Amino acid sequence: MKSTLERRSCGTIDNGMKETSTRALGLGLVVTYAALIGWLYARQPQTLAQITGGLTDVVGVYQVDEQALADALRFFRNDQFVEARIAFERADPAVRDARVQFYIAYSYYRQGWGRVYHDDRLYAEGLDAIDRAMALAPGGRLVVDDPALAMHTGEELKGELEAGLRFDASDFNPMRVFGARK
Amino acid sequence: MRAGREAIVVPVIFLTVLLLGGLRIADTAVLVPPSPYVLLLAVLLVRVVVQSGALAPELLLASDRSELANLNGVVLLATLWLASAQALAVLIPESGVPRLAFSVFFLILLLNTAAASPDRHRLLRSLAVTFGAAFVVKFVVLHGLSAPGDGAVKRALLALVDGVTAGALVQEVPRPITAYIALLAVALFLLGVFLLPHRERSPYRELSDGSNAIVRAR
Repeated sequence: MKSTLERRSCGTIDNGMKETSTRALGLGLVVTYAALIGWLYARQPQTLAQITGGLTDVVGVYQVDEQALADALRFFRNDQFVEARIAFERADPAVRDARVQFYIAYSYYRQGWGRVYHDDRLYAEGLDAIDRAMALAPGGRLVVDDPALAMHTGEELKGELEAGLRFDASDFNPMRVFGARK
Repeated sequence: MRAGREAIVVPVIFLTVLLLGGLRIADTAVLVPPSPYVLLLAVLLVRVVVQSGALAPELLLASDRSELANLNGVVLLATLWLASAQALAVLIPESGVPRLAFSVFFLILLLNTAAASPDRHRLLRSLAVTFGAAFVVKFVVLHGLSAPGDGAVKRALLALVDGVTAGALVQEVPRPITAYIALLAVALFLLGVFLLPHRERSPYRELSDGSNAIVRAR
């Protein structure tokens, strides 16, 4: 009789512990899933690479593809901007690296720059890219120490792109044909 | 078993509805959160679900339950509310006169359902029929009318609404997969409501003299 009661008592305790574990596990699972959904709504990723890249960035293990970055920089320095952007996008498929996005913006600037006029479409794309880059940089401060560049900060590049998109009296200054691409 | 359903299965189903219901796939994929209006409609829907007995809140929140169990109950209620909003949002057209008409229709329908005070079985049947009909109107009729081209279905539909300016009905047509995802979201929502901890009969039944009395569950 005593052993039966003990068994029943142990069974009740086991069931209680099992239920508590299930509830705790469920709570953790649901909170994690809800956080993931909230993140998806906030970030609006468009590709699977952006989803996986974004999640790996959240846990701090996201890395750019160094080989693709080296290829992209080689194209960039040879003024092959379209090829450079393809390689930059391969290097940072999740759009999580501020430095890569800075170079993409710079490639739009250099490709769109002209002595007589600037290409507004390319400058607008560049402005989007530099906004992305500055949003990704810690505190919005983005500095790229590349001696091959004339502009090293996000603010300089953004200012140049915005100035290129603005239509004002300086656009009619004939001296602008002597200006240099940065 | 009940703890697993309450803490894991049903909240995960409702969160999946929240995720899938927001997905709009056209040239780009966008996740659209529920608007404040559908969040308010969802409050009405949750009220109707509770009123019908399809959800027994006393089985989710009670002083004799542990804090963890009550927390599970709160999470389930929150996910039910969000999923209700998203299920309604996915069925309401995106723009124009149909959007306005559906928004008003759902408001009146929910008020009417609350007034009719159906039991759980009737509410589930009513939701399945209403949501199914809204799905057909939005994804078959309106998208058929708005799709480019001049196929037989479109001609037949235009003949049916002869006299109505087609421009007032035209919607932006998403990729076909959006309709399948919406159908899955609505089906999951109904499954989630079906799985909610419930009582067989609503405890409140209005007597002939207008007063409320508690009817014992069988």
